[in-house]
Amino acid sequence: MTQGLRGWVRRSTGAWLPRAGTQDAGEIEIKSRRVFILPTRAGLGFAALLLVLLIGSINYALGLGFGLTFLALSCALVDMVATYRNLAHLRLQQGRVAPVFAGQEAQFELLLSNRTRLARYALRADFADIANGADLRHMTDVAPGAQTTVTLSVPTNARGWLAPARVKLSTRFPLGLFQAWSYWRPAARALVYPRPEDGAPPLPLAGGAGNNPRPGGNDDFAGIRSYQAGDSPRQMAWRQIARLDPALGGQLVTKHFEGTGGDGLLLDFDAIPVWVDLELRLSRMTRWVLDAEARALPYAFRLGALRYDAANGAAHQAACLRALALYGMREAA
Amino acid sequence: MKATDARLIALPLSRDKIDTMLLLASAVLVLAPHAAHLPLWVSLLCGATLLWRALITLRGRRMPPAMLLLPIAAGAMLGVQFSYDTLIGKDAGVAMLVLLVAFKMLEMHARRDLYVVIFLCFFLVLTNFFYAQGIGTALMMVASILLLLTTQLSFGFTGAVPPLRTRFGMAARTLAIAAPLAALLFVVFPRIQGPLWGMPGGSGSGKSGLSDQMAPGQMSNLALSEEPAFRARFFGRAPDKAQLYWRGPVLDAFDGRTWSRGAGRISGRNLHLAVGQPGVDYEVTLEPSQSHWVFALEMAGELPEVPGRQVRLSSQFELTSDTPLDARLRYRASSHTDYALQRGALLEGAERWLLLPYGFNPRALAEGRALRLIDDPAQRVQAVLRRFREEPFSYTLEPPLLGRHTVDEFLYGARAGFCEHYSGAFVFLMRAAGVPARVVTGYQGGDINPLDGFMTVRQSDAHAWAEVWLEDRGWMRVDPTAAVAPERVNRGLGASVPRPAPFGIDALRGMNPFGGEGNAWLAQLRDAVNAANNGWNQWVLNYTPERQRDVVQSLQQQLFGWPFAALLTLGGAMLLLLRFLRRRRETDPVDALYLALCKRLAQAGIARDLDESPSAFAARLGADPGASEIKLAPQARAAALDFLRRYSAWRYAPPRQHAGHHRQLTATLKSLLSQVR
Repeated sequence: MTQGLRGWVRRSTGAWLPRAGTQDAGEIEIKSRRVFILPTRAGLGFAALLLVLLIGSINYALGLGFGLTFLALSCALVDMVATYRNLAHLRLQQGRVAPVFAGQEAQFELLLSNRTRLARYALRADFADIANGADLRHMTDVAPGAQTTVTLSVPTNARGWLAPARVKLSTRFPLGLFQAWSYWRPAARALVYPRPEDGAPPLPLAGGAGNNPRPGGNDDFAGIRSYQAGDSPRQMAWRQIARLDPALGGQLVTKHFEGTGGDGLLLDFDAIPVWVDLELRLSRMTRWVLDAEARALPYAFRLGALRYDAANGAAHQAACLRALALYGMREAA
Repeated sequence: MKATDARLIALPLSRDKIDTMLLLASAVLVLAPHAAHLPLWVSLLCGATLLWRALITLRGRRMPPAMLLLPIAAGAMLGVQFSYDTLIGKDAGVAMLVLLVAFKMLEMHARRDLYVVIFLCFFLVLTNFFYAQGIGTALMMVASILLLLTTQLSFGFTGAVPPLRTRFGMAARTLAIAAPLAALLFVVFPRIQGPLWGMPGGSGSGKSGLSDQMAPGQMSNLALSEEPAFRARFFGRAPDKAQLYWRGPVLDAFDGRTWSRGAGRISGRNLHLAVGQPGVDYEVTLEPSQSHWVFALEMAGELPEVPGRQVRLSSQFELTSDTPLDARLRYRASSHTDYALQRGALLEGAERWLLLPYGFNPRALAEGRALRLIDDPAQRVQAVLRRFREEPFSYTLEPPLLGRHTVDEFLYGARAGFCEHYSGAFVFLMRAAGVPARVVTGYQGGDINPLDGFMTVRQSDAHAWAEVWLEDRGWMRVDPTAAVAPERVNRGLGASVPRPAPFGIDALRGMNPFGGEGNAWLAQLRDAVNAANNGWNQWVLNYTPERQRDVVQSLQQQLFGWPFAALLTLGGAMLLLLRFLRRRRETDPVDALYLALCKRLAQAGIARDLDESPSAFAARLGADPGASEIKLAPQARAAALDFLRRYSAWRYAPPRQHAGHHRQLTATLKSLLSQVR
């Protein structure tokens, strides 16, 4: 019955609720009319109990029984208001959303701030249309005047922009007889990079010959640098590592090679044969960008009309990956 | 309790454990009052079960398997069947529920089970009212609800849990807000007269009260009972104490030892009652007695209206209800202390009031017969009363035991007795003298509580008097006890009978409930307690649909007057103002202005990033004039930049400088904000 009722409320409020399209920019306050409230299953049980108490009081003419019945009923009503107040006038803000690779989970940060003097307990944040079950990870409290962050994850599978579903913020505190909830559509969207290809061909070193099988840049030892995630164990400078005591602040180090065509690394999308699937080509480019970064090789980047000069570093990588993620998409901006 | 438990196992309890212990404590509080009426084994079994559950929680053991619980539960059911001879019905049902709650404690797995236990506890609070509904029970109820709410609340937390005291505070606040609402509902929620189904079984059996018979020694037992029989509230002046004869059963037949009502009672059709003077109006609240007797002052002019019951008038002018009075009953009545009943030349069926048993009390019979020498029957009455008054008769609660000829032994031997002796002997003599006479029982007197104006009539006010029929007077009340001990009628029992001292120790006589004049303070306290109890009975336990109608009507009259409406409006306005002020105080006015600016800029399409400080935001706004100018006029942009600079300077200034030009800054920022369009 609750399910049916909920469904009805969902349908009938959909018309004027923030749904797809309208987004809530900046910080918003959960205004009273955005809070919905309905009895939970326990609440319906309590209603049945009240009915039994009332009938018992009438039948046995228990004056004090009426007192108990009405006191319990009033407590339930107070609970309803308390549940509503536990949610209303919270302020919501979107947080950062880090770009992820397709297949990873996008992490949406949700900032709840409480500018009132009322402590908020047992708030549950969730995406409205994704059933998560009773997942305690998304339960949170907000002390008066404080701010907490909830991170909601969404699985991704396609590159491009990912707009999150509606966020449903709900609570049953304090007595669990009612559930109050509100919807919020954050303006943030996550950039999803293409999935890096597994078992991709090696980096196209030396003048951009796409299928040159030479294991790039393993020739000339150019020194060591600190370890970066993704470095192959074969490249680790084990001798140096053994000499450095981790307890004394020693770090993992990696052998750094200068490839023969060190400054000639060109990642050119058009160099990949066109019979390879578009998404696979983008995946391969992604892998190469990561590999080149991992080995600190400067690389030039060409994707259709887009050209980046050879460089490396986080900003360069981000620009390249972004271009790959949005390749061929309308909202490339 | 928590603290000792924690010390017991020398380990801080985890949150779950504390919550479970809280639930156990609420169950104990709810179940404890039931121990008063449950068989001992049920209480012991419940206690053991709860203790077991507590140990499981404290020691972190596993719950017992269902295979173990089922036989115990089945055994308990058999036990209930054995104790009550049934599994259904009120008492057995309560016992089953109590056991159910105790066993459910051992079988809690999901959150749902918690609600089941708490809801069952609420229901058990109600079932306790079958047995007691006093003020103490009500306090116990509030305590139970408080603990239940605290428990339910404690299970609602998912992250941080405030200390137990705070949680108690939260529950208490909930209760405090709920209480006025509950009171309002109590007054105005439409009441229905129960019962909805079969009459609930006798509650509070074995109540003492007037019986339909009178044998020597019966009344004096009642005289020791301080239980209230009923309470009366007079609309207007209460009659004198000597007029307060509350009529009950009329006893016609005498078998030599016991006076009883006899057979052949017809409903009073050929009765005629002549009344003089305006009557006395009053309202009686009758305590449940399990009998049919409805009391009214002599003589009730009309049948009292008793809600939900039929009241009949017998030919002896007795008032009876069609069903036993198993609940407190309230009715209005009107009586005339000045009356003449059955006045006239002829008394229909007069012989039944002249009958005497054969072979008993020969001396009294002879004395009565001798009275027939007096012509005027009224003079015969006076002669007997004079005899009681002038000869050494005494009034006592501890009359000597009497043998076969009770009247003879009393009149010529002991000459000491209680009202039943005097009225019985008097009626016997009158009948022997050829005057129709009968014994009337009921209550005489009553104490008015100065605190609430209610008159309480107690079992100790039970009394027996006589009625004789005289041609020109009709049935006339004669109280022979008054001839012996006039103070019994004028001042009540306490004044007329030396009471036995407690434990037979004379020095303790002052502790007597009838008290002397010595303990006025104690009497005052007793008055206050009585008034509280009476108010409770009148307003809580016996708030009937009729009373509700009266209350709602008078409320309506009060509420629709303008003073109340004005008060309501004023209160509402104050509340709104308070709310507004509180809102204002929550954020600093300068911060509020800053938020307003950010909102305005966001509307213009330049939203502040979440982690952007005012100065960084200003830098962004200033660095990119081309882009932001599209969205913002140059003037507005300049104003916004100025605003942000000032705000940043104020916000990050050392705290001491904060307070100084607060007001000035607010004004400046306000004017700048108005320029951002």
